[in-house]
Amino acid sequence: MTTHPAETMSSRERVIAALRRQPVDRTAVCNPTSVATVELMDMVEAPFPVANRDPELMAALALTGHTELGFDSVMPVFSIIQESSALGCNMQWEQKDNWPTVRMREPIWKDVDDIRIPNDFLAHPDMRCVTDAIVMLRRQLGDEVAIIGKTMGPWTLGYHCFGVEPFLLMSLDDQAKTKLALERMKEATILFGQAQIDAGADALTLPDHATGDLVSADYYLRYLKDLHIEFAERLSVPLILHICGRTVDRMGYIAETGMAAFHFDSKNKPAESMEAVDGRIALIGNINNPETLFAKGPEEVRAEVYANLEAGVQAIGPECAIPLQTPIENLTEIVRAVRDWHAARAH
Amino acid sequence: MAQIAELGRRIELVSMDPHCHDITIGLYRDVADQAVEFTAFSYSRREGAVERVGFVNQAMKVLGGLEASPDAPDRLRFPCGQDHRRAVQRLFMDACKIASSTPLEPRAMNIFDKKSQLTMIATSEGGGRYRVTSDGTGPEAERRIDAVTRGLVRLAELESLETGAASFPCGYTHDRLVGLLLKRALNVRVAMREAEAAAARGIMAAPSQQQAP
Repeated sequence: MTTHPAETMSSRERVIAALRRQPVDRTAVCNPTSVATVELMDMVEAPFPVANRDPELMAALALTGHTELGFDSVMPVFSIIQESSALGCNMQWEQKDNWPTVRMREPIWKDVDDIRIPNDFLAHPDMRCVTDAIVMLRRQLGDEVAIIGKTMGPWTLGYHCFGVEPFLLMSLDDQAKTKLALERMKEATILFGQAQIDAGADALTLPDHATGDLVSADYYLRYLKDLHIEFAERLSVPLILHICGRTVDRMGYIAETGMAAFHFDSKNKPAESMEAVDGRIALIGNINNPETLFAKGPEEVRAEVYANLEAGVQAIGPECAIPLQTPIENLTEIVRAVRDWHAARAH
Repeated sequence: MAQIAELGRRIELVSMDPHCHDITIGLYRDVADQAVEFTAFSYSRREGAVERVGFVNQAMKVLGGLEASPDAPDRLRFPCGQDHRRAVQRLFMDACKIASSTPLEPRAMNIFDKKSQLTMIATSEGGGRYRVTSDGTGPEAERRIDAVTRGLVRLAELESLETGAASFPCGYTHDRLVGLLLKRALNVRVAMREAEAAAARGIMAAPSQQQAP
């Protein structure tokens, strides 16, 4: 039987130290994105879609990430649509076993002059749901567990509000207009991020879906790097940038933004990613979702955890929001594997 | 406080049971006394959830020939003690499709095939071996016999023998299971697509990857 060394830090201390690239008692297990599953929903009677819209259910479901799975953090903003809902996008709320989405084929903005952040943006029920849930979680968890909020970046808001194709075409055809659009939309990112900090969030995930398949590293440099630097300056908690897909070509730029961490996809190997960021930003990740966590077993999960630990990744977790049907045993294996890895090195 | 149940590895999931408040029911696999055992389980504490899972268990026994484990009545096993993974996954999903008020009886080992307008018949020849025949003759009958046999092979991971014959590797008779799978074997592609579609739900896509609703 493996003897695990005593843990000397609280989960919250561990996550914050990891984000600051400071020493930890063991590697943090962290979820910058959702670890909600349909079975966890049943456990606390907090099913989708209502768990995305009711703060008590949102908080209850988020809490299972720590109480059931053993993660060092909780992250209540399961989806990526809260802001877009508040901005007036048409929503597809779906059912318990599927994600709510924005109807991007019904865009609400056509031109940059259409961009408008409502005066009561933060009071929208889908925004209040998040801030109220964070208040509840902070009250329940005290100083023991890290609470990670989430605020969508302007590139993602552009996709949601303009539609993917129109927004990408604008970025190709009119650089000045695109930059103006991003400049105007960034205020939504700042407002929602600050509201979550005020509610008690210890860190914020900032997804900005300039994904490698459609957006080059040059585009990241041209359109987003300076904005991300500004976010890191204006939001007073550690920020975790999340971009899906193969992004090792832009990790060097991301490492220069001043953000605390980059949440990276399994399409990037842990060792190559650590080399790309060269100690200038923490990495969180990158256990594969659709093949490993969803479709394989604990042995395969453990192998990926070990690959990350051996590369020196500062916090371990799934690469993105996990599939809602992910088996619980694969998620608890992440924590077990981290503890066993450290135990083996302590002796 | 952790509520996670130690049930083995989850091998199938019905994420929303329409017959019981959309509860999620999982099928778990474990090994006990060298026999593979299966447990249907739900984390839901909603009214009726326990009874519903009990019905699913009973349906798996009646439709698939599973038996209760001698040490734990909630755990089920095939008489052969083997895995029959793909077949038990299908059995579980089909059991969850039945309303709890439905009387349960084993499926017949023959079924009307709309494509050929013939009746397809599965007959046990002992030792886990099954032969598929029809009540007609001719090229169409032979084509459909071959297709249904291949369907059974795929659905239950059988070993193909000569045309129209296949066997369970364990060498045991599994009449109830064959009766259940016969309907799916008529169009195995539909069955596979259904399983793939169910598995694809709940995977978040980046905005640029989303299919338009």
